Amino acid sequence: MEKSEILSQVTEIFRDVLDNEEIVLTDTTTANDIEEWDSLSHIQLIVAIEKDFKIKFTSAEILSWKNVGEMIDNISKKLA
Amino acid sequence: MEFNSINFFLFFVAFFVIYHIFYKRCKIQNWILLIFSYLFYGIADLKMIPVIAVMTIMTYFLGLKIEDFVQKDNKKANRFAMFSAVLCLLPLLYFKYFNFFIDSFAQLFSALGFNTEISTFQILMPLGISFFTFRLVSYVLEINRRKMSAERDFVAFAAYVAFFPCIMAGPIDRPNKFLPQLKTVRKTDYSFLTEGVKMFVWGWFTKVCIADRMGEYVDAVFNNYQDYGALSIGIATLLYPLQMYADFSGYSNMAIGIGRLAGLEVAENFRRPFFAQNVAEYWRRWHISLTGWLTDYVFMPLNIKFRDLGNLGLILAVVINLVTVGFWHGANWTFGFFGLFHGLLFIPLILSGKMNKKAKITWLGGWLISPTNLLKMGLTYLLVATALLFFRSESMSAAFSTIAQCFTGLGSMCNVGGKKIFLFSLMILLAKDYLDEGKFKFSILKTEKPLWLDLQLIALIIFIVIFRGDAVKEFIYMQF
Repeated sequence: MEKSEILSQVTEIFRDVLDNEEIVLTDTTTANDIEEWDSLSHIQLIVAIEKDFKIKFTSAEILSWKNVGEMIDNISKKLA
Repeated sequence: MEFNSINFFLFFVAFFVIYHIFYKRCKIQNWILLIFSYLFYGIADLKMIPVIAVMTIMTYFLGLKIEDFVQKDNKKANRFAMFSAVLCLLPLLYFKYFNFFIDSFAQLFSALGFNTEISTFQILMPLGISFFTFRLVSYVLEINRRKMSAERDFVAFAAYVAFFPCIMAGPIDRPNKFLPQLKTVRKTDYSFLTEGVKMFVWGWFTKVCIADRMGEYVDAVFNNYQDYGALSIGIATLLYPLQMYADFSGYSNMAIGIGRLAGLEVAENFRRPFFAQNVAEYWRRWHISLTGWLTDYVFMPLNIKFRDLGNLGLILAVVINLVTVGFWHGANWTFGFFGLFHGLLFIPLILSGKMNKKAKITWLGGWLISPTNLLKMGLTYLLVATALLFFRSESMSAAFSTIAQCFTGLGSMCNVGGKKIFLFSLMILLAKDYLDEGKFKFSILKTEKPLWLDLQLIALIIFIVIFRGDAVKEFIYMQF
């Protein structure tokens, strides 16, 4: 799966979970850029992404992401 | 050496002059900061200098090693970072909790019918150990999370760990925010420094005119609760959160002010906690540098671990986190219960999805808080005060006896303490918080004009000099 495809699928998940259709994600987006993205919705997002892509992250992976780009890289590695 | 003592004033003047002579020479300034920090810590407790020195050297090398692992093997890095964090925590666990564990086990065994003759020995807890330990742990974990690289400059690192304004009682600065400041030219712009002076004076005011004065009343009642009834105990219970706030935010503001005078930005610790609409919001406004630390290193990992359990997982993570907050204050079941009490108060907020919702205050006519908001603020305050009654008590049985004492009748009014002074001063504090919360343009701490023309500042200093208590009193959070 191409990274751009992953990004658009993840964007859909964000819009769905955070209930905001205007969200546009890029590789450099962080939680500071989206108001609804806090420590609680972060976990909901992870659960939704894991379910959607049928993957499982480790705690250390989740805690090391600095932005959306690093999360996408992580998903892409899991799918490869 | 208390911030509000003459000795500290002389110490600080010496530091300030020497430090700023070397303006723009960061490395020399870091040396000065380090030497004065060890001097400050050594004056308080000379025996503990080796503890902080050894821990600083150890963590410095652990940081470099973790970074090495992070680049090669993630799994090894994780394991080594966990090991390092535990190593950093060991002295704290020993000094703070060793006797508690031995005592609790002995009690458990004798309750089960075994004869125990375990004796504990006197362990004196080094001042500030809870605070600098948390700085060290944060450092190793942030490197492992790839949020920062290991610090090569040992003097800068050691100055971060021992930074004297914050070593005794916080705020707990994060390495990734604080260390970069030690690598660049210190801020010396006029408003940054003068606001530092004002924050220091403001903290001094809330400490000596409110906390110390109120403390006389609160101590008189809680230490002799058998002599009083519902009236005095009720008032003391309601005053104690305000005393804690005036004391601890006073200390924090003084530390932030001193930090600014050294050209450094220290982490925020309080954001008008009594305007909180529920307990979750209260914890986002109270002792922020500690709750932020625990959110990152206790709550988030637990929440991630329990993520497939839904609300139950969230409740577990919150309760464990708050019980940790409680026990962080010391080895006593009263602190554990304080944390658990708060944790349980989160359950309705989690189930109704309100835990992280920002509860905005409605301002009627632009300047009056709506009755609904006031009611929620009042209820939150009552819950916080109840939890703090346990926090303040020597033991769980003393807490329950204090509560039981309220049912013996109204009782007499305690007549200790300069009530008029602390009530008047308290009104000034609440008015300031009200203005800040309402985002009104006026703020006591902002300053544009020269300090000697700043009437608010001059009035505040005169007020402090006249109405402060007789003795210099210790800050409550020094004991934690």
